[in-house]
Amino acid sequence: MPPVGTEDPPVPAKHWWEGHLNEIGLLAALVILLAVFAQTAPNFLTDRNLINILRAASYVGIVAFPMTFVIIAREIDISVGPAVAFYGVLFAQLVGAHGVPVAVSIPVVVLAGGLVGAAAGALRVAYAVPTFIATLALWSALRGGALWWTDALPVLIPSKPFRAAFGGDLLGIPVVTWVMAAVFVTFGYLARFSRYGRHVYALGGNPAAVEALGVNTALLRIAVMASTGALAAFTGILVDARLGSGNANAASGLEFDVIAAVIVGGTLLSGGTGRMTGTLLGVLVIAVLANGLVLLGVDPDVQKVVRGLIILVAVLANFAIARRRRRDLLE
Amino acid sequence: MRRTAPETELPQLSLLRLRNVSKRFGAVQALSSVSLDLRAGEVLGLMGDNGAGKSTIVKILAGNLPPDGGEVLVDGESAAFHGPSDARARGIEVVYQDLALCDNLTAAENVFIGREIMRRVGTVPVAINFRAMIDRTKELFAELESDTSAELQVGRMSGGQRQAVAIARTRLNDSRVVLMDEPTAAISVRQVEQVLRLIGRLREQGVAVLLISHRMPDVFSVADRIAVLRRGQKVADKPMKDTSPEEVTGLITGAIERS
Repeated sequence: MPPVGTEDPPVPAKHWWEGHLNEIGLLAALVILLAVFAQTAPNFLTDRNLINILRAASYVGIVAFPMTFVIIAREIDISVGPAVAFYGVLFAQLVGAHGVPVAVSIPVVVLAGGLVGAAAGALRVAYAVPTFIATLALWSALRGGALWWTDALPVLIPSKPFRAAFGGDLLGIPVVTWVMAAVFVTFGYLARFSRYGRHVYALGGNPAAVEALGVNTALLRIAVMASTGALAAFTGILVDARLGSGNANAASGLEFDVIAAVIVGGTLLSGGTGRMTGTLLGVLVIAVLANGLVLLGVDPDVQKVVRGLIILVAVLANFAIARRRRRDLLE
Repeated sequence: MRRTAPETELPQLSLLRLRNVSKRFGAVQALSSVSLDLRAGEVLGLMGDNGAGKSTIVKILAGNLPPDGGEVLVDGESAAFHGPSDARARGIEVVYQDLALCDNLTAAENVFIGREIMRRVGTVPVAINFRAMIDRTKELFAELESDTSAELQVGRMSGGQRQAVAIARTRLNDSRVVLMDEPTAAISVRQVEQVLRLIGRLREQGVAVLLISHRMPDVFSVADRIAVLRRGQKVADKPMKDTSPEEVTGLITGAIERS
Protein backbone atom coordinates (compact mmCIF):
# COMPACT_ATOMS: atom_id res chain seq x y z
CA MET A 1 0.00 0.00 0.00
CA PRO A 2 1.58 3.32 -0.98
CA PRO A 3 1.84 5.98 1.70
CA VAL A 4 -1.15 8.26 1.90
CA GLY A 5 -0.56 11.54 0.13
CA THR A 6 2.11 10.25 -2.26
CA GLU A 7 0.17 11.20 -5.33
CA ASP A 8 -0.18 14.77 -4.14
CA PRO A 9 1.78 17.39 -6.08
CA PRO A 10 5.21 18.21 -4.66
CA VAL A 11 5.42 21.28 -2.51
CA PRO A 12 7.21 24.17 -4.22
CA ALA A 13 10.63 24.84 -2.72
CA LYS A 14 10.56 27.72 -0.30
CA HIS A 15 13.51 30.03 0.24
CA TRP A 16 14.04 31.65 3.61
CA TRP A 17 13.45 35.11 2.20
CA GLU A 18 10.13 34.27 0.60
CA GLY A 19 8.33 34.52 3.91
CA HIS A 20 10.05 37.84 4.62
CA LEU A 21 9.52 39.72 1.35
CA ASN A 22 7.56 42.37 3.17
CA GLU A 23 10.22 43.10 5.78
CA ILE A 24 12.96 43.14 3.15
CA GLY A 25 10.94 45.61 1.10
CA LEU A 26 10.34 47.83 4.11
CA LEU A 27 14.00 47.77 5.09
CA ALA A 28 14.90 48.83 1.54
CA ALA A 29 12.26 51.57 1.65
CA LEU A 30 13.63 52.78 4.97
CA VAL A 31 17.21 52.93 3.66
CA ILE A 32 16.09 54.76 0.53
CA LEU A 33 14.03 57.26 2.55
CA LEU A 34 16.95 57.91 4.89
CA ALA A 35 19.34 58.39 1.96
CA VAL A 36 17.01 60.72 0.07
CA PHE A 37 16.17 62.85 3.09
CA ALA A 38 19.83 62.95 4.15
CA GLN A 39 20.62 64.50 0.77
CA THR A 40 17.65 66.81 0.44
CA ALA A 41 16.23 67.75 3.83
CA PRO A 42 18.18 70.29 5.89
CA ASN A 43 19.26 69.09 9.35
CA PHE A 44 17.76 65.64 8.71
CA LEU A 45 20.84 63.64 9.61
CA THR A 46 21.56 65.31 12.94
CA ASP A 47 21.53 63.49 16.29
CA ARG A 48 18.82 65.77 17.52
CA ASN A 49 16.56 65.10 14.57
CA LEU A 50 17.13 61.35 14.60
CA ILE A 51 16.18 61.33 18.29
CA ASN A 52 13.06 63.31 17.38
CA ILE A 53 12.14 60.68 14.81
CA LEU A 54 12.66 57.92 17.36
CA ARG A 55 10.51 59.71 19.91
CA ALA A 56 7.67 60.34 17.47
CA ALA A 57 7.87 56.73 16.29
CA SER A 58 7.72 55.47 19.86
CA TYR A 59 4.35 57.02 20.71
CA VAL A 60 2.96 55.23 17.65
CA GLY A 61 4.84 51.99 18.23
CA ILE A 62 3.69 51.36 21.80
CA VAL A 63 0.10 51.03 20.54
CA ALA A 64 1.01 49.54 17.15
CA PHE A 65 2.30 46.25 18.62
CA PRO A 66 -0.88 45.35 20.50
CA MET A 67 -2.81 46.67 17.46
CA THR A 68 -0.98 44.08 15.35
CA PHE A 69 -2.52 41.33 17.49
CA VAL A 70 -5.94 42.98 17.26
CA ILE A 71 -5.78 43.01 13.46
CA ILE A 72 -4.33 39.48 13.24
CA ALA A 73 -7.34 38.36 15.30
CA ARG A 74 -9.64 39.98 12.68
CA GLU A 75 -10.65 42.83 15.00
CA ILE A 76 -9.83 46.55 14.91
CA ASP A 77 -9.49 49.35 17.44
CA ILE A 78 -9.90 52.79 15.88
CA SER A 79 -10.32 54.54 19.25
CA VAL A 80 -6.62 54.68 20.22
CA GLY A 81 -6.02 58.36 19.36
CA PRO A 82 -8.88 59.72 21.49
CA ALA A 83 -8.01 57.07 24.10
CA VAL A 84 -4.50 58.51 24.46
CA ALA A 85 -6.01 61.97 24.97
CA PHE A 86 -8.73 60.84 27.35
CA TYR A 87 -6.51 58.75 29.61
CA GLY A 88 -3.90 61.50 29.52
CA VAL A 89 -6.58 63.87 30.84
CA LEU A 90 -7.75 61.29 33.39
CA PHE A 91 -4.17 60.89 34.64
CA ALA A 92 -3.63 64.66 34.82
CA GLN A 93 -6.91 65.10 36.72
CA LEU A 94 -5.92 62.42 39.20
CA VAL A 95 -2.38 63.68 39.76
CA GLY A 96 -2.76 67.41 39.08
CA ALA A 97 -6.25 68.26 40.27
CA HIS A 98 -6.83 65.63 42.95
CA GLY A 99 -3.30 64.99 44.21
CA VAL A 100 -3.41 61.23 43.81
CA PRO A 101 0.16 59.85 43.90
CA VAL A 102 1.72 59.06 40.53
CA ALA A 103 2.49 55.50 41.62
CA VAL A 104 -1.22 54.94 42.26
CA SER A 105 -2.51 56.88 39.26
CA ILE A 106 -0.46 54.97 36.67
CA PRO A 107 -1.92 51.52 37.42
CA VAL A 108 -5.40 53.00 37.86
CA VAL A 109 -5.33 54.73 34.46
CA VAL A 110 -3.79 51.75 32.64
CA LEU A 111 -6.38 49.47 34.23
CA ALA A 112 -9.19 51.83 33.20
CA GLY A 113 -7.93 51.78 29.59
CA GLY A 114 -7.70 48.00 29.67
CA LEU A 115 -11.21 47.62 31.07
CA VAL A 116 -12.79 49.91 28.48
CA GLY A 117 -10.96 48.01 25.72
CA ALA A 118 -12.12 44.74 27.28
CA ALA A 119 -15.68 46.08 27.25
CA ALA A 120 -15.45 46.62 23.48
CA GLY A 121 -14.20 43.04 23.20
CA ALA A 122 -17.02 41.81 25.43
CA LEU A 123 -19.62 43.52 23.19
CA ARG A 124 -18.07 41.73 20.26
CA VAL A 125 -18.23 38.41 22.07
CA ALA A 126 -21.68 38.73 23.63
CA TYR A 127 -23.66 40.57 20.97
CA ALA A 128 -21.49 40.24 17.86
CA VAL A 129 -21.08 44.03 17.75
CA PRO A 130 -18.16 44.54 15.34
CA THR A 131 -15.19 46.06 17.14
CA PHE A 132 -15.09 48.68 14.40
CA ILE A 133 -18.50 49.94 15.57
CA ALA A 134 -17.76 49.69 19.30
CA THR A 135 -14.46 51.54 18.93
CA LEU A 136 -16.03 54.09 16.57
CA ALA A 137 -18.39 54.92 19.41
CA LEU A 138 -15.43 55.09 21.79
CA TRP A 139 -13.53 57.24 19.30
CA SER A 140 -16.24 59.86 19.54
CA ALA A 141 -17.07 59.44 23.23
CA LEU A 142 -13.48 59.51 24.53
CA ARG A 143 -12.49 62.63 22.60
CA GLY A 144 -15.77 64.34 23.45
CA GLY A 145 -15.51 63.30 27.08
CA ALA A 146 -11.97 64.64 27.39
CA LEU A 147 -12.90 67.98 25.80
CA TRP A 148 -16.04 68.37 27.91
CA TRP A 149 -14.22 67.49 31.11
CA THR A 150 -11.41 70.02 30.53
CA ASP A 151 -13.13 72.72 28.45
CA ALA A 152 -10.33 71.93 26.01
CA LEU A 153 -7.82 73.45 28.44
CA PRO A 154 -4.58 71.72 29.51
CA VAL A 155 -4.69 70.09 32.95
CA LEU A 156 -1.30 70.85 34.51
CA ILE A 157 0.82 68.20 36.21
CA PRO A 158 3.11 69.84 38.78
CA SER A 159 5.27 66.75 39.57
CA LYS A 160 8.77 67.45 38.18
CA PRO A 161 10.18 64.00 39.04
CA PHE A 162 7.35 62.39 37.06
CA ARG A 163 8.05 64.54 34.02
CA ALA A 164 11.76 63.82 34.22
CA ALA A 165 11.26 60.09 34.68
CA PHE A 166 8.76 59.54 31.86
CA GLY A 167 9.26 62.51 29.55
CA GLY A 168 13.04 62.73 29.49
CA ASP A 169 15.96 60.64 28.25
CA LEU A 170 17.79 57.63 29.61
CA LEU A 171 21.33 57.00 28.34
CA GLY A 172 20.71 59.52 25.57
CA ILE A 173 17.60 57.72 24.32
CA PRO A 174 14.06 59.00 25.06
CA VAL A 175 12.36 57.05 27.85
CA VAL A 176 9.38 56.56 25.57
CA THR A 177 11.66 54.75 23.12
CA TRP A 178 12.84 52.40 25.88
CA VAL A 179 9.20 51.74 26.62
CA MET A 180 8.48 51.01 22.98
CA ALA A 181 11.46 48.65 22.85
CA ALA A 182 10.11 46.79 25.89
CA VAL A 183 6.63 46.57 24.33
CA PHE A 184 8.17 45.34 21.07
CA VAL A 185 10.17 42.63 22.83
CA THR A 186 7.13 41.58 24.89
CA PHE A 187 4.76 41.36 21.94
CA GLY A 188 7.43 39.81 19.75
CA TYR A 189 7.85 37.10 22.37
CA LEU A 190 4.08 36.65 22.72
CA ALA A 191 3.61 36.40 18.97
CA ARG A 192 6.39 33.92 18.45
CA PHE A 193 6.64 31.81 21.58
CA SER A 194 3.47 31.98 23.65
CA ARG A 195 0.31 29.92 23.56
CA TYR A 196 -1.65 33.19 23.58
CA GLY A 197 0.12 34.31 20.42
CA ARG A 198 -0.45 30.98 18.65
CA HIS A 199 -4.13 31.23 19.49
CA VAL A 200 -4.38 34.81 18.20
CA TYR A 201 -2.93 33.68 14.85
CA ALA A 202 -5.22 30.63 14.83
CA LEU A 203 -8.21 32.83 15.59
CA GLY A 204 -7.34 35.00 12.59
CA GLY A 205 -6.95 31.89 10.43
CA ASN A 206 -10.18 30.08 11.30
CA PRO A 207 -12.25 31.33 14.25
CA ALA A 208 -14.80 28.50 14.06
CA ALA A 209 -12.04 25.89 14.18
CA VAL A 210 -10.36 27.45 17.20
CA GLU A 211 -13.70 27.53 18.97
CA ALA A 212 -14.44 23.89 18.10
CA LEU A 213 -11.03 22.83 19.43
CA GLY A 214 -11.91 24.13 22.86
CA VAL A 215 -9.84 27.34 22.94
CA ASN A 216 -11.57 30.14 24.84
CA THR A 217 -12.08 32.55 21.94
CA ALA A 218 -14.16 34.95 24.04
CA LEU A 219 -11.24 35.48 26.40
CA LEU A 220 -8.84 35.87 23.46
CA ARG A 221 -10.95 38.57 21.80
CA ILE A 222 -11.41 40.44 25.07
CA ALA A 223 -7.67 40.20 25.80
CA VAL A 224 -6.52 41.63 22.46
CA MET A 225 -8.94 44.54 22.78
CA ALA A 226 -7.89 45.15 26.39
CA SER A 227 -4.23 45.28 25.33
CA THR A 228 -4.69 48.21 22.92
CA GLY A 229 -6.83 50.00 25.51
CA ALA A 230 -4.27 49.56 28.28
CA LEU A 231 -1.29 50.58 26.15
CA ALA A 232 -3.15 53.58 24.68
CA ALA A 233 -3.79 54.66 28.28
CA PHE A 234 -0.11 54.23 29.14
CA THR A 235 0.81 56.24 26.04
CA GLY A 236 -1.50 58.97 27.35
CA ILE A 237 0.56 59.08 30.54
CA LEU A 238 3.80 59.28 28.54
CA VAL A 239 2.38 62.14 26.43
CA ASP A 240 1.42 63.94 29.67
CA ALA A 241 5.00 63.58 30.92
CA ARG A 242 6.32 65.13 27.73
CA LEU A 243 3.85 68.04 27.68
CA GLY A 244 3.63 68.58 31.43
CA SER A 245 -0.15 68.46 31.21
CA GLY A 246 -3.12 66.43 30.10
CA ASN A 247 -4.61 67.67 26.82
CA ALA A 248 -7.96 66.73 25.36
CA ASN A 249 -6.66 67.55 21.87
CA ALA A 250 -3.53 65.39 22.14
CA ALA A 251 -2.76 62.49 19.79
CA SER A 252 -5.09 63.75 17.08
CA GLY A 253 -5.04 61.22 14.24
CA LEU A 254 -2.81 58.78 16.13
CA GLU A 255 -5.20 55.92 15.30
CA PHE A 256 -4.50 56.58 11.64
CA ASP A 257 -0.71 56.39 12.09
CA VAL A 258 -0.95 53.26 14.23
CA ILE A 259 -3.20 51.32 11.86
CA ALA A 260 -1.21 52.57 8.86
CA ALA A 261 2.03 51.37 10.47
CA VAL A 262 0.55 47.92 11.11
CA ILE A 263 -0.80 47.61 7.57
CA VAL A 264 2.37 48.99 5.97
CA GLY A 265 4.21 46.49 8.16
CA GLY A 266 2.57 43.64 6.28
CA THR A 267 -0.31 42.65 8.55
CA LEU A 268 -3.36 41.80 6.48
CA LEU A 269 -6.69 43.32 7.51
CA SER A 270 -8.26 39.96 6.69
CA GLY A 271 -6.46 38.52 9.72
CA GLY A 272 -4.18 35.60 10.48
CA THR A 273 -1.01 37.16 9.05
CA GLY A 274 1.40 39.69 10.48
CA ARG A 275 4.64 40.09 12.39
CA MET A 276 5.90 42.45 15.07
CA THR A 277 9.15 43.10 13.13
CA GLY A 278 7.03 44.21 10.16
CA THR A 279 5.08 46.56 12.40
CA LEU A 280 8.33 47.98 13.86
CA LEU A 281 9.58 48.72 10.33
CA GLY A 282 6.18 50.17 9.40
CA VAL A 283 6.32 52.50 12.40
CA LEU A 284 9.83 53.66 11.47
CA VAL A 285 8.99 54.19 7.79
CA ILE A 286 5.98 56.32 8.65
CA ALA A 287 7.90 58.34 11.27
CA VAL A 288 10.86 58.99 8.93
CA LEU A 289 8.52 59.98 6.13
CA ALA A 290 6.56 62.39 8.31
CA ASN A 291 9.72 63.97 9.69
CA GLY A 292 11.42 64.31 6.30
CA LEU A 293 8.40 65.93 4.70
CA VAL A 294 8.26 68.47 7.52
CA LEU A 295 11.95 69.33 7.15
CA LEU A 296 11.53 69.66 3.40
CA GLY A 297 8.89 72.29 4.12
CA VAL A 298 6.18 70.37 2.31
CA ASP A 299 2.75 71.85 2.88
CA PRO A 300 1.03 69.99 5.76
CA ASP A 301 -1.98 69.20 3.62
CA VAL A 302 0.23 67.77 0.90
CA GLN A 303 2.02 65.69 3.58
CA LYS A 304 -1.27 64.00 4.33
CA VAL A 305 -1.79 63.23 0.65
CA VAL A 306 1.71 61.77 0.39
CA ARG A 307 1.18 59.59 3.46
CA GLY A 308 -2.11 58.37 2.03
CA LEU A 309 -0.40 57.41 -1.21
CA ILE A 310 2.40 55.60 0.62
CA ILE A 311 -0.14 53.51 2.51
CA LEU A 312 -1.94 52.70 -0.70
CA VAL A 313 1.31 51.55 -2.30
CA ALA A 314 2.18 49.43 0.73
CA VAL A 315 -1.22 47.77 0.78
CA LEU A 316 -1.00 47.02 -2.95
CA ALA A 317 2.44 45.51 -2.41
CA ASN A 318 1.03 43.32 0.37
CA PHE A 319 -1.75 42.14 -1.91
CA ALA A 320 0.81 41.29 -4.56
CA ILE A 321 2.79 39.23 -2.04
CA ALA A 322 -0.35 37.49 -0.79
CA ARG A 323 -1.40 36.68 -4.34
CA ARG A 324 2.04 35.31 -5.10
CA ARG A 325 1.65 32.94 -2.14
CA ARG A 326 -1.78 31.84 -3.36
CA ARG A 327 -0.39 31.24 -6.84
CA ASP A 328 2.40 29.07 -5.42
CA LEU A 329 -0.29 27.15 -3.66
CA LEU A 330 -2.34 26.47 -6.75
CA GLU A 331 0.56 25.35 -8.92
CA MET B 1 -6.68 -7.48 12.50
CA ARG B 2 -10.28 -8.46 12.94
CA ARG B 3 -12.45 -6.76 10.40
CA THR B 4 -15.90 -7.53 11.70
CA ALA B 5 -17.24 -7.14 15.19
CA PRO B 6 -18.71 -10.14 17.01
CA GLU B 7 -22.40 -10.41 16.39
CA THR B 8 -23.40 -10.96 19.98
CA GLU B 9 -23.10 -7.71 21.86
CA LEU B 10 -20.23 -7.70 24.33
CA PRO B 11 -20.76 -4.77 26.71
CA GLN B 12 -17.11 -4.64 27.80
CA LEU B 13 -16.09 -3.80 24.24
CA SER B 14 -18.39 -0.81 24.03
CA LEU B 15 -16.23 2.27 24.46
CA LEU B 16 -18.96 4.76 23.91
CA ARG B 17 -22.67 4.15 24.08
CA LEU B 18 -25.79 6.20 23.59
CA ARG B 19 -28.71 4.83 25.59
CA ASN B 20 -32.22 5.93 24.63
CA VAL B 21 -31.05 9.44 23.74
CA SER B 22 -33.65 12.00 22.69
CA LYS B 23 -33.25 15.57 21.52
CA ARG B 24 -35.86 18.10 20.52
CA PHE B 25 -35.37 21.48 18.81
CA GLY B 26 -38.61 23.42 19.24
CA ALA B 27 -41.26 21.48 17.40
CA VAL B 28 -38.75 19.15 15.74
CA GLN B 29 -37.97 15.84 17.42
CA ALA B 30 -34.38 15.47 16.16
CA LEU B 31 -33.72 12.18 17.96
CA SER B 32 -36.20 9.84 19.62
CA SER B 33 -34.77 7.26 21.99
CA VAL B 34 -31.72 6.32 19.91
CA SER B 35 -29.22 3.78 21.24
CA LEU B 36 -25.84 3.27 19.63
CA ASP B 37 -22.65 1.36 20.49
CA LEU B 38 -19.15 2.25 19.39
CA ARG B 39 -16.66 -0.59 19.87
CA ALA B 40 -12.88 -0.71 19.84
CA GLY B 41 -11.39 -1.47 16.44
CA GLU B 42 -14.71 -1.15 14.70
CA VAL B 43 -15.91 1.34 12.11
CA LEU B 44 -19.60 2.12 12.50
CA GLY B 45 -21.15 3.74 9.45
CA LEU B 46 -24.00 6.06 10.32
CA MET B 47 -26.29 6.83 7.42
CA GLY B 48 -29.47 8.78 6.94
CA ASP B 49 -31.03 11.48 4.85
CA ASN B 50 -30.56 15.17 5.58
CA GLY B 51 -32.31 15.98 8.84
CA ALA B 52 -32.35 12.36 10.00
CA GLY B 53 -30.38 13.27 13.12
CA LYS B 54 -26.78 12.30 12.19
CA SER B 55 -25.23 15.65 13.07
CA THR B 56 -27.21 15.83 16.30
CA ILE B 57 -25.66 12.53 17.37
CA VAL B 58 -22.16 13.81 16.62
CA LYS B 59 -22.82 17.00 18.57
CA ILE B 60 -24.09 15.06 21.58
CA LEU B 61 -21.16 12.61 21.51
CA ALA B 62 -18.67 15.47 21.08
CA GLY B 63 -20.08 17.40 24.03
CA ASN B 64 -21.41 20.28 21.94
CA LEU B 65 -25.03 19.55 22.82
CA PRO B 66 -26.62 17.99 25.92
CA PRO B 67 -29.29 15.31 25.28
CA ASP B 68 -32.84 16.01 26.52
CA GLY B 69 -33.32 12.42 27.60
CA GLY B 70 -31.31 9.23 27.83
CA GLU B 71 -27.60 9.11 28.56
CA VAL B 72 -24.11 8.88 27.14
CA LEU B 73 -21.93 6.15 28.61
CA VAL B 74 -18.15 6.02 28.39
CA ASP B 75 -16.70 2.63 29.36
CA GLY B 76 -20.13 1.75 30.73
CA GLU B 77 -20.24 4.75 33.06
CA SER B 78 -22.71 7.57 32.63
CA ALA B 79 -20.93 10.72 31.43
CA ALA B 80 -22.25 14.27 31.26
CA PHE B 81 -20.25 16.47 28.86
CA HIS B 82 -20.37 20.20 29.45
CA GLY B 83 -18.31 21.05 26.40
CA PRO B 84 -16.00 19.63 23.74
CA SER B 85 -13.08 19.56 26.15
CA ASP B 86 -14.98 17.19 28.49
CA ALA B 87 -15.49 14.76 25.64
CA ARG B 88 -11.87 15.14 24.61
CA ALA B 89 -10.75 14.41 28.16
CA ARG B 90 -12.56 11.07 27.88
CA GLY B 91 -10.72 10.21 24.66
CA ILE B 92 -13.41 11.25 22.18
CA GLU B 93 -12.19 13.24 19.18
CA VAL B 94 -14.02 14.76 16.23
CA VAL B 95 -12.97 15.36 12.65
CA TYR B 96 -15.28 18.13 11.52
CA GLN B 97 -16.65 18.26 8.02
CA ASP B 98 -14.65 21.41 7.25
CA LEU B 99 -11.66 19.84 9.09
CA ALA B 100 -11.29 22.86 11.41
CA LEU B 101 -7.86 23.77 10.05
CA CYS B 102 -6.11 27.15 10.09
CA ASP B 103 -4.61 27.72 6.64
CA ASN B 104 -2.14 30.24 8.03
CA LEU B 105 -0.50 27.74 10.39
CA THR B 106 1.73 24.72 9.80
CA ALA B 107 0.55 21.15 10.12
CA ALA B 108 2.25 20.77 13.50
CA GLU B 109 0.70 24.00 14.80
CA ASN B 110 -2.72 22.87 13.62
CA VAL B 111 -2.40 19.46 15.24
CA PHE B 112 -1.57 21.12 18.56
CA ILE B 113 -4.06 24.04 18.63
CA GLY B 114 -5.19 24.34 22.24
CA ARG B 115 -2.73 21.63 23.37
CA GLU B 116 0.62 23.20 22.55
CA ILE B 117 3.72 21.64 24.06
CA MET B 118 5.56 24.16 26.22
CA ARG B 119 9.23 24.38 27.13
CA ARG B 120 9.34 24.78 30.87
CA VAL B 121 11.73 26.19 33.41
CA GLY B 122 10.82 24.24 36.50
CA THR B 123 7.06 24.12 36.18
CA VAL B 124 6.68 27.53 34.53
CA PRO B 125 5.88 27.34 30.80
CA VAL B 126 8.20 29.77 29.00
CA ALA B 127 7.94 29.09 25.30
CA ILE B 128 6.23 26.92 22.73
CA ASN B 129 8.35 23.88 21.98
CA PHE B 130 8.09 23.84 18.19
CA ARG B 131 10.71 21.09 17.88
CA ALA B 132 8.74 18.71 20.09
CA MET B 133 5.47 19.55 18.30
CA ILE B 134 7.03 18.93 14.88
CA ASP B 135 8.63 15.66 16.02
CA ARG B 136 5.38 14.38 17.50
CA THR B 137 3.45 15.39 14.37
CA LYS B 138 5.96 13.50 12.23
CA GLU B 139 5.40 10.42 14.39
CA LEU B 140 1.63 10.75 13.97
CA PHE B 141 1.96 11.06 10.19
CA ALA B 142 4.25 8.02 10.21
CA GLU B 143 1.67 6.02 12.18
CA LEU B 144 -0.93 7.01 9.60
CA GLU B 145 1.60 6.20 6.84
CA SER B 146 1.04 9.62 5.37
CA ASP B 147 3.91 11.57 3.81
CA THR B 148 2.42 14.93 4.80
CA SER B 149 5.04 17.44 5.97
CA ALA B 150 4.76 18.58 9.57
CA GLU B 151 6.33 21.97 8.88
CA LEU B 152 4.31 22.97 5.83
CA GLN B 153 1.57 25.60 6.00
CA VAL B 154 -1.79 23.88 5.75
CA GLY B 155 -2.94 26.48 3.20
CA ARG B 156 -0.33 25.06 0.80
CA MET B 157 -1.57 21.48 1.14
CA SER B 158 -3.73 19.26 -1.05
CA GLY B 159 -7.10 17.99 0.14
CA GLY B 160 -5.70 14.58 1.09
CA GLN B 161 -2.88 16.09 3.12
CA ARG B 162 -5.34 18.35 4.92
CA GLN B 163 -7.40 15.30 5.85
CA ALA B 164 -4.26 13.69 7.23
CA VAL B 165 -3.62 16.74 9.42
CA ALA B 166 -7.17 16.70 10.78
CA ILE B 167 -6.97 12.98 11.50
CA ALA B 168 -3.48 13.21 13.02
CA ARG B 169 -4.93 15.73 15.45
CA THR B 170 -7.34 13.10 16.78
CA ARG B 171 -4.43 10.74 17.52
CA LEU B 172 -2.59 13.21 19.70
CA ASN B 173 -3.81 11.91 23.03
CA ASP B 174 -4.25 8.28 21.96
CA SER B 175 -7.95 8.90 21.64
CA ARG B 176 -10.11 5.79 21.61
CA VAL B 177 -13.11 7.15 19.76
CA VAL B 178 -13.01 9.24 16.58
CA LEU B 179 -16.18 10.79 15.16
CA MET B 180 -15.95 11.73 11.49
CA ASP B 181 -18.63 14.00 10.07
CA GLU B 182 -18.86 13.59 6.29
CA PRO B 183 -15.10 13.31 5.79
CA THR B 184 -15.48 12.48 2.11
CA ALA B 185 -18.21 14.94 1.17
CA ALA B 186 -16.10 17.70 -0.32
CA ILE B 187 -13.02 16.05 -1.79
CA SER B 188 -11.97 14.43 -5.03
CA VAL B 189 -12.33 10.72 -5.74
CA ARG B 190 -8.59 10.13 -5.40
CA GLN B 191 -8.55 11.88 -2.04
CA VAL B 192 -11.51 9.78 -0.88
CA GLU B 193 -9.26 6.73 -1.33
CA GLN B 194 -6.68 8.31 0.96
CA VAL B 195 -9.23 9.13 3.63
CA LEU B 196 -10.68 5.62 3.60
CA ARG B 197 -7.15 4.28 4.03
CA LEU B 198 -6.63 6.62 6.99
CA ILE B 199 -9.85 5.34 8.55
CA GLY B 200 -8.57 1.79 8.07
CA ARG B 201 -5.41 2.70 9.99
CA LEU B 202 -7.45 4.09 12.86
CA ARG B 203 -9.29 0.77 13.07
CA GLU B 204 -6.02 -1.19 13.05
CA GLN B 205 -4.92 0.85 16.04
CA GLY B 206 -8.02 -0.21 17.98
CA VAL B 207 -9.89 3.08 17.64
CA ALA B 208 -13.67 3.07 17.56
CA VAL B 209 -14.68 5.12 14.50
CA LEU B 210 -18.08 6.63 13.83
CA LEU B 211 -18.24 7.44 10.13
CA ILE B 212 -21.07 9.72 9.17
CA SER B 213 -21.62 9.83 5.47
CA HIS B 214 -24.26 9.73 2.85
CA ARG B 215 -21.89 8.27 0.30
CA MET B 216 -22.92 4.64 0.09
CA PRO B 217 -19.72 3.28 -1.54
CA ASP B 218 -17.52 4.81 1.16
CA VAL B 219 -19.51 3.28 3.98
CA PHE B 220 -19.63 -0.11 2.28
CA SER B 221 -15.90 -0.15 1.58
CA VAL B 222 -14.71 0.74 5.09
CA ALA B 223 -17.42 0.17 7.73
CA ASP B 224 -17.83 -3.01 9.78
CA ARG B 225 -21.32 -2.22 10.93
CA ILE B 226 -24.01 0.15 9.78
CA ALA B 227 -26.71 2.06 11.58
CA VAL B 228 -29.43 3.91 9.69
CA LEU B 229 -31.39 6.86 11.02
CA ARG B 230 -34.69 8.05 9.67
CA ARG B 231 -36.53 11.03 11.15
CA GLY B 232 -34.66 10.78 14.43
CA GLN B 233 -35.17 7.05 14.89
CA LYS B 234 -32.73 4.22 14.43
CA VAL B 235 -34.25 1.89 11.84
CA ALA B 236 -31.33 -0.51 11.40
CA ASP B 237 -28.10 -1.55 13.16
CA LYS B 238 -26.39 -4.60 11.72
CA PRO B 239 -23.09 -5.97 10.44
CA MET B 240 -22.15 -4.77 6.98
CA LYS B 241 -22.07 -8.27 5.57
CA ASP B 242 -25.75 -8.79 6.42
CA THR B 243 -26.99 -5.92 4.34
CA SER B 244 -26.79 -4.48 0.85
CA PRO B 245 -26.77 -1.03 -0.71
CA GLU B 246 -30.32 -1.67 -1.91
CA GLU B 247 -31.55 -2.44 1.58
CA VAL B 248 -29.77 0.58 3.06
CA THR B 249 -31.22 2.87 0.41
CA GLY B 250 -34.66 1.53 1.23
CA LEU B 251 -34.07 2.11 4.93
CA ILE B 252 -32.89 5.67 4.38
CA THR B 253 -35.81 6.64 2.17
CA GLY B 254 -38.42 4.75 4.16
CA ALA B 255 -39.24 2.24 1.43
CA ILE B 256 -38.19 -0.40 3.96
CA GLU B 257 -39.70 0.38 7.34
CA ARG B 258 -37.21 -1.30 9.66
CA SER B 259 -34.57 -4.02 9.62
